[in-house]
Amino acid sequence: MSAMAMAMVSCPSSSCSLARGYLSTSEVHHQLCVTGLLLRRTTLPCRLVTHASVGIQQAQAVRGRDWGLGASASAAQVQETAEEELPSKLREVVQLFQGVAEQRARYQQLLYYGQKLAPLAKEFCTPENKVQGCVSQVWVVCKLRDDGRMYFEADSDSALTKGLAALLVEGLSGATPVEILKVSPTFMEKLGLQQSLTPSRSNGFLNMLRLMQKKTLEAYMGSTAAPSSSSPSPDAPEKEPEAIESKPKAESAEITTVKDSITSKLTERLSPVELEVEDVSHQHAGHAGAPRGSSETHFNVKVISEAFQGLSLVKRHRLIYGLLQEELQNGLHALSLITKTPAEVSDKP
Amino acid sequence: MQEVHGYKLVYLDNAATSQKPASVLKALRDYYEGYNANVHRGVHALSAKATDEYELARKKVADFINSPSDRDVVFTRNASEAINLVAYTWGLTNLKEGDEIVLSVAEHHSNLVPWQLVSQKTGAVLRFVDLTSEETLDLEQLKGLLNERTKLVSTFHVSNVLGCINPIADIVEWAHAVGAKVLVDACQSVPHMAVDVQALGADFLVASSHKMCGPTGMGFLWGKSEILESMPPFLGGGEMIVDVFLDRSTYASPPSRFEAGTPAIGEAIGLGAAVDYLNRIGMDRIHEYEMELSKYLYESLSKIPSVKIYGPPAGSNGERRASLCAFNVEGIHATDLSTFLDQQHGIAVRSGHHCTQPLHRYLGINASARASLYFYNTTDEVDTFINGLKDTIDFFSAFK
Repeated sequence: MSAMAMAMVSCPSSSCSLARGYLSTSEVHHQLCVTGLLLRRTTLPCRLVTHASVGIQQAQAVRGRDWGLGASASAAQVQETAEEELPSKLREVVQLFQGVAEQRARYQQLLYYGQKLAPLAKEFCTPENKVQGCVSQVWVVCKLRDDGRMYFEADSDSALTKGLAALLVEGLSGATPVEILKVSPTFMEKLGLQQSLTPSRSNGFLNMLRLMQKKTLEAYMGSTAAPSSSSPSPDAPEKEPEAIESKPKAESAEITTVKDSITSKLTERLSPVELEVEDVSHQHAGHAGAPRGSSETHFNVKVISEAFQGLSLVKRHRLIYGLLQEELQNGLHALSLITKTPAEVSDKP
Repeated sequence: MQEVHGYKLVYLDNAATSQKPASVLKALRDYYEGYNANVHRGVHALSAKATDEYELARKKVADFINSPSDRDVVFTRNASEAINLVAYTWGLTNLKEGDEIVLSVAEHHSNLVPWQLVSQKTGAVLRFVDLTSEETLDLEQLKGLLNERTKLVSTFHVSNVLGCINPIADIVEWAHAVGAKVLVDACQSVPHMAVDVQALGADFLVASSHKMCGPTGMGFLWGKSEILESMPPFLGGGEMIVDVFLDRSTYASPPSRFEAGTPAIGEAIGLGAAVDYLNRIGMDRIHEYEMELSKYLYESLSKIPSVKIYGPPAGSNGERRASLCAFNVEGIHATDLSTFLDQQHGIAVRSGHHCTQPLHRYLGINASARASLYFYNTTDEVDTFINGLKDTIDFFSAFK
């Protein structure tokens, strides 16, 4: 790993805290904030410039900033254009689009790319893989292979977005994590597709790129930080190290497990006489709906509470699902529920 | 004539926001250039004039909706804020556990989320009216949901997606019979037809300035005098007080009670100018023209195969629908349609869920495209839209 490799990381969330980079002679200790998720302190043998950025202007201004040693080396890098920073395949894609003179033909080209994109298996269409803030639905999956390069798959229900996703998949698959993280969104202008560069809710293309970069970073950090790490084998999804998971609950002691938060929410709102929460995710690992490598996706929950008095079974279940909306949106896949009032329990022989 | 991507702009997103006439822009400019001063505070000439114009704007809005008094019109930032105002003041003091609020599955998020927040805080229960097979509100079901625990019915006058029109006067009658109040979300009706709060009999009514040719950052809540009088303050601060001590204060009467701090003075005056503009044309004339447009849009769109329009049919004179159509084309994503229409034809329509996620879920769709007209659109523009849409459909169908 080159000691002078420089990568720029942009945090797409405007609310994340500014990360600082500290340099010692040969290593960097840093805390990295990626869309508000706090990752472990890690030691990397390369120099990373980190910052929270919302605008492209800021990004380019920070690019050349020197955080410590080797001032002259970074000055040269400031001059790099966006295009030179692109992985070779992406550069080819951009050039291809630049070669198409007519706008309508460019759209045709885009749709053609989308057609070629292999559909994504349903099991990968999970909230984790979904591009937030897209007006259509887009999912992106990435994998860091043994050759040290990232490979992507994507899908979308909108033809144009699928084309854009395909473009990114084609352009970024096979690149190294560092190359991917160096990609600045300004290349989008060159495609001539009138894609706005404004980071906003409706900017699917930008958000797609950001998600791919975020996942790349996580995969990269996971593979270099975990002491016994090896790149995850594509054939054994259950064994993927937890470091790659984007769920915040695995990373910090202050954040509770899903089991804890289910228990506390149900206790608080239903004042149960009896409550059992059991994680049975291991029984479901690998089947459709269980994201690769995660636990805390399936629970058996038994609640005995007066709160169910007068409620039909459907309403009881709805009540519980309503209380656990946050968990359900963050990887909790299914609950097997037993909901009874104390009277119903004592009626049983 | 504005150009977009090299094409003449055809603006069909009026349900989102309307364009502004020169007189409104002039009113804003005149204020900022001529008599920009804070209202209600000074005795000097500029302040007096600003105050006069600001209060005159209030009177214009009050007359526009036939309010019995201009004191019943509270200026807010927009309709969403107006609904939150009712939810946080009237709602929190009058609702308790077990009370019921009747809404519908087709409400705009701004007429859903505030009630969810209130329900969480008070334990009041939300009940939802479904749609009929024609995709209008199921009024029989609504009647069935009303009981002695119902405290509020809050629903749209005109739906921003379905285009259907609720018989508010009837709904008010049924609600009052069980002792419930009614809040009307009139964002899509006040700009397009004459709305008479006394004839409707509603207890609250909200609307936005920017959808009726006025500036953004301005909207209003209308409420019955005695109800507003009973409501506690919403936001605290200057303007809404009478006497202020260190540890307590006394509060002003409505509407000032609910207008804390320096208001959007220029914008209120702009809204007044918008009301003048609409009155010069005449709301009845606007409504009649829009009914024609509505029928024309609906029929033209229906003729395209594989197009599904949401909401009821237009009626023989276009009277059953507002002049908007939310629709989908089979096999083509709404976002693709609107992107292509914009890029290749300069036509502005909206795609997405139009702030009605529950409605889209109810209809079983992820998104829809929507063309929404206002009195300054023409049938020619509808033709351009239809032709552009056909071209768009051909383009994407070639890739299937």
